[in-house]
Amino acid sequence: MAFLPLTIEEQVADMRAAWPSFAHRTFGKDAVIWQGTLKPLTRSYDVQIAYSTDMVISGPEVRIVSPRLTRLPGNPEGSLPHVYNRDRDPVLCLFDPAREQWSGWLFVSETIVPWTIDWLACYEFWLMTGAWEGGGRHPPSTGRRINVENYP
Amino acid sequence: MNVSAFTGIDPFLDPVDRILSQIAFNIQLPPSLHAKAVSRYEAVRRHLEATTFFADGIEHFYPQGSMAIDATISTRGTDDEYDIDIIAQLAAKYRHLGPLGVLKALEAALSNYPVEKVIRQTRCVTLVYGDRMHLDVSAAFREQGTPERRSQIMHAKGPNRSADDCEVPSNAYGFAEHYKSRTPVETAVSEAFRRRWNDHDRLRADAEVDDVPDQAPFVVKNMATLALQLVKRYRNITHDRKRRSGQMAPSVLLANYAARSASTGRTLSDALISLCNLLIIDIRRASLLGRTLAVVNPTWDQDEFTDRWPESVDQQNEFADDLSNLVAALNHLRSGRMDPVDIPAELRQLFGDYVVNEAIRKIAQETGGAVKQASQSYTRAGGILVPSTTAAALITSKAAAAPVAASRHDFFGDAV
Repeated sequence: MAFLPLTIEEQVADMRAAWPSFAHRTFGKDAVIWQGTLKPLTRSYDVQIAYSTDMVISGPEVRIVSPRLTRLPGNPEGSLPHVYNRDRDPVLCLFDPAREQWSGWLFVSETIVPWTIDWLACYEFWLMTGAWEGGGRHPPSTGRRINVENYP
Repeated sequence: MNVSAFTGIDPFLDPVDRILSQIAFNIQLPPSLHAKAVSRYEAVRRHLEATTFFADGIEHFYPQGSMAIDATISTRGTDDEYDIDIIAQLAAKYRHLGPLGVLKALEAALSNYPVEKVIRQTRCVTLVYGDRMHLDVSAAFREQGTPERRSQIMHAKGPNRSADDCEVPSNAYGFAEHYKSRTPVETAVSEAFRRRWNDHDRLRADAEVDDVPDQAPFVVKNMATLALQLVKRYRNITHDRKRRSGQMAPSVLLANYAARSASTGRTLSDALISLCNLLIIDIRRASLLGRTLAVVNPTWDQDEFTDRWPESVDQQNEFADDLSNLVAALNHLRSGRMDPVDIPAELRQLFGDYVVNEAIRKIAQETGGAVKQASQSYTRAGGILVPSTTAAALITSKAAAAPVAASRHDFFGDAV
């Protein structure tokens, strides 16, 4: 493994090659926002991925821009499973911080994008059946976003 | 039969078609029951030939209708009852008995047959088995000197002879051969279903500790037949849901349109829409002229597929409206604009509650299982391909595959 994490430029170049339909906007050498469309199963979703050099540990923030994510009130997995900020500004939670599945030494194109597709596929079937079949877990409530550094 | 190296499209590839295919899978006659049906009608033939009356009197004993073209689905709106239609081609020496006499003779010969019930119907004798399979045996006489196998089947309501008793022209065998020639094997379809039945049987065997054959010998063979099965299911469910009485559009008529609309290399929803549209156009055209639809067997114009349906222009318009609703629903499903939360209700309306719920649950579990094991792959458009479709996907659309491999990850998130 390289000593330093991948740079924003390296991430941008790799995303362009792997997912050319995603447009991007960089903010100096420190941050980038990609936006593109994914159609895992039956519906198309506009997806936004925000990443900056201070997200090397916590991971990129992935939001579904449209359509608005549907809630299932009273569902055992919560009204919208596997997200942070469920009620205000849901950000997809694609990996378990305790298992070190993400780090800034990995390409967004090879991790975050396919994991977003996985999330959307599981989400669609969750809407159809009420059951989240893609695995994962929800932590005890702590009121803060958990990452590998503050994991209890 | 035309079989090339690899033809057609895997019906489990497209996400909407994948659910439709699983629905079709859930209503199909399973290979194990197909084998049972074959052994049953062979046993019935042996039984009849062992009777004094029919000894040496049966020339052919063969499946007709959906059984002859591998399109059998569960009866009406049920999920596990199947009707199997058989033609008993009898020697000419019985013809003098007349339609009712022949049907009664058949009924008498089968009266002690070990089934739950033997029922004489207007055109056949029905054997009802304990597992609710029905075997309908129709008596027929060959029209000598005519192309293979133009026949007359017996029509008599009973219990007494009537002026309405008659012989009805039929060439079920000829139509089945015509259908098969128009709907060649698409290996992508047959292999996908073969794999699925093998997996299904393996899972059942694991549960029941039974021996299971390595390969399912009987599977649906092309997209046209898969589409036909779904249209028949839709017709049955709609008829029940709207509490209609009277005849439904006959299966052989739908099969005729499936054969006419067949085209190798179509997706399942395209095949389904094409079948419906062809029939809608013909019905609308007939209605505009104030006529009922008239369709004959392409192998014999005396064999009218529309002799008992439609009874009126209104009835055929009602069915055309049903088919238009199916087309609209399929287009909506494929539009990419439908909220997934609404999809199950839409599909249940079309194909019935149980099979739809089971189909969606199965596909959901397969997809979730693939994600958990990181065995899925992706398309450049951001689509997900689960293992059972991956092989076909690589063959049919290598250029569309994303250059990204699946990797293990575990969803997390805020507390529930």
